[in-house]
Amino acid sequence: MDESVAGQQRSEFGITRISKKFGSYTALQDVSFSVIPGEILGLIGPNGAGKSTLLECVAGLLTAATGTVWWQGRILPLKKRKQVIWYQPDATLPFARQRVVTTLTFFRKIHCASKADLNRLVRLLGLSPVLKKPLETLSKGFRRRVQLALALLSRQPLLMLDEPFDGFDIRQTLSMMDLLRSYRDKRSMILSIHQLTEAEKICNRFLLLDQGRVLGLGTLDELRTQAGLTADANLEEVFLAIT
Amino acid sequence: MPLPDTTSKPRLAWIILIQEVRGLLMSPALWTMLIVVSLLVGYSFLQAVDLFSRASRTALSYAELARGMNPQAGIFVPTFGAYYLSQTLLLPFVAIRLIGLDKQSGVLKLLLQLRLSTFSLCILKIMAMGLVWGVSMIPAAMALFFWHRLGGHIFVPELAVLLAGHALYSLIVITIAMFAATISDSLPTAAMLCLAATLGSWVLDFAASGHGGILGTLGQVSLTGMLRQFENGLLSTGYIAAFLALAILFFMLTVIWLHPGRRRSAKIGKSLAVIGLLGAGAVMAMLSPIYTDVTENQRHSFNPATTRALRQLSRTLTITIHLNPQDSRLLDMEQGVLARLRRSVQKLNIQYSPSSSTGLFQPAESDQYGLIQYEYGGKKDQSYSNSENEILSIIYHLAGMTVVPDPVPVYKGYPLVADASGSRWWFYLYLPLIFLSIGGYCYLDKSWRTTRQGE
Repeated sequence: MDESVAGQQRSEFGITRISKKFGSYTALQDVSFSVIPGEILGLIGPNGAGKSTLLECVAGLLTAATGTVWWQGRILPLKKRKQVIWYQPDATLPFARQRVVTTLTFFRKIHCASKADLNRLVRLLGLSPVLKKPLETLSKGFRRRVQLALALLSRQPLLMLDEPFDGFDIRQTLSMMDLLRSYRDKRSMILSIHQLTEAEKICNRFLLLDQGRVLGLGTLDELRTQAGLTADANLEEVFLAIT
Repeated sequence: MPLPDTTSKPRLAWIILIQEVRGLLMSPALWTMLIVVSLLVGYSFLQAVDLFSRASRTALSYAELARGMNPQAGIFVPTFGAYYLSQTLLLPFVAIRLIGLDKQSGVLKLLLQLRLSTFSLCILKIMAMGLVWGVSMIPAAMALFFWHRLGGHIFVPELAVLLAGHALYSLIVITIAMFAATISDSLPTAAMLCLAATLGSWVLDFAASGHGGILGTLGQVSLTGMLRQFENGLLSTGYIAAFLALAILFFMLTVIWLHPGRRRSAKIGKSLAVIGLLGAGAVMAMLSPIYTDVTENQRHSFNPATTRALRQLSRTLTITIHLNPQDSRLLDMEQGVLARLRRSVQKLNIQYSPSSSTGLFQPAESDQYGLIQYEYGGKKDQSYSNSENEILSIIYHLAGMTVVPDPVPVYKGYPLVADASGSRWWFYLYLPLIFLSIGGYCYLDKSWRTTRQGE
């Protein structure tokens, strides 16, 4: 699946033909997609599909063998990506021995976010009870919330989150989805998700990835059409049909 | 969507610096190091004062012996020797955290997305470590305070050079630790790499002691060997350049290799360029060094009149020495008169002819063993003496010079009989307790509740 330069220019952000190899293993092969302003794009694929590798290549944290990143119709060089993109990797534990409030304040300051922004996030994410605790002593769910807070404190127009709902129960997941949706008017998002039911609930469009190759890109309806399925097919059925 | 307002770079740098310092202060390794340093410095200082006092008792009665009582060699070098141990064995474990922990926790991926360059990020980490290094100097400052209070003499320039040597040595250890952490996948591997470098340098210096030739030269340019030049009070632009070049080299290698999003070929190319540039600079500086004798008794220098006369020698002075490299007479000459001649004579050619003896207790194979031959301007002379006065008089004779030594103030030495045992409580109890308390506060205050927070 390829998109022309003209296509990239209509969208806000896009990448063209990104490939990445680890030795002889091809992790990504000619991956191209674009992000429409204000949308949530879901990177869907099984473990090992290349989702995290793709996000790290886009963020400039991994070298890609080929490929171009676009922003508002212009090539976005490596050095300028940090102005446009914030990538929150999976399973980071920043300054684990520090109190949560110290870490949150550090990221608030470096992102030039206001205290009101931080307070709002603390309230919405239910972090008040753990603010004075070290991050390393928190449960997986609370660690996820802190990571989500760190990501949402950033102010870059494109936010990329790797497995943001991993570790949440169903209620918490729905709550976090609401929170992410509330930020959609301010920024576009790319979410890497391997749980299809969750992805279907929050994402506007989907990029189906398997073994480093793009198998489908579009809304659920467009993917149903591509897979030749009826309107009641869910994302899981679409994914299985296409892959 | 417009790009957001962002924190200015200076403010961003300040915020990260504070965070780096905070991270180091929360490290148990740091406070363990400070406690050990306190104990080591205290032990070294008390031992040094005790030995100095014993030697001073006799020296106070004999002026000739008193001249040998130099607090720099007797007190400060052994006291700072404790720092050499801690810088070699403990500092790497603190410095490795600067990069290693960031990599392990994934925070490096976040920091690399900030608007600061990798270079700036590494500079901030070095600055944070510099602050910590300053804190580690508290026991040394206390030793100086106690020495001064006991009535001991302090010659500031010599002490400053010693301190500079340890600062440069620490800088190299820190940059090696950072680089080791950069190229390693785990903290233990990084620690092993760093210790291999620092301990390897130590072993090299130890193995090279008493040897000439290539091994002796390698020993001189080992980290330990270079630090010794500063301990001796002989400031050399060559050694300063070598120290700085090594520190800058490992720092730049860290900067180049830290970012995972840069191509390996570019990293290799930049690394080779840095190695080439710094290597060339260091070699040039070491080939034409400028020396400054900062010792109070000018023990590394000839009389000023002698130095002036030797600098006027326009032709090549050739000295052929028939001694084995391991011969103690040659070692004495190398550290004494030959080293001074190398710094004073512009065209000096020293040749060694070591094959004339097989060992200490074996008979000499040649009658020439022990002979030192001199040639200047077509004139030749020879002698078996390795005395500085004898050697200089031969050179004057060959050059047709008459040198009248300048009158210089006689160094009388600073013998002192003192009892520093009262200070032991500070080094063995109070300082460790203070470090333990502050470290404990920094550690426990941040993790005072270790129960897992459920949901």
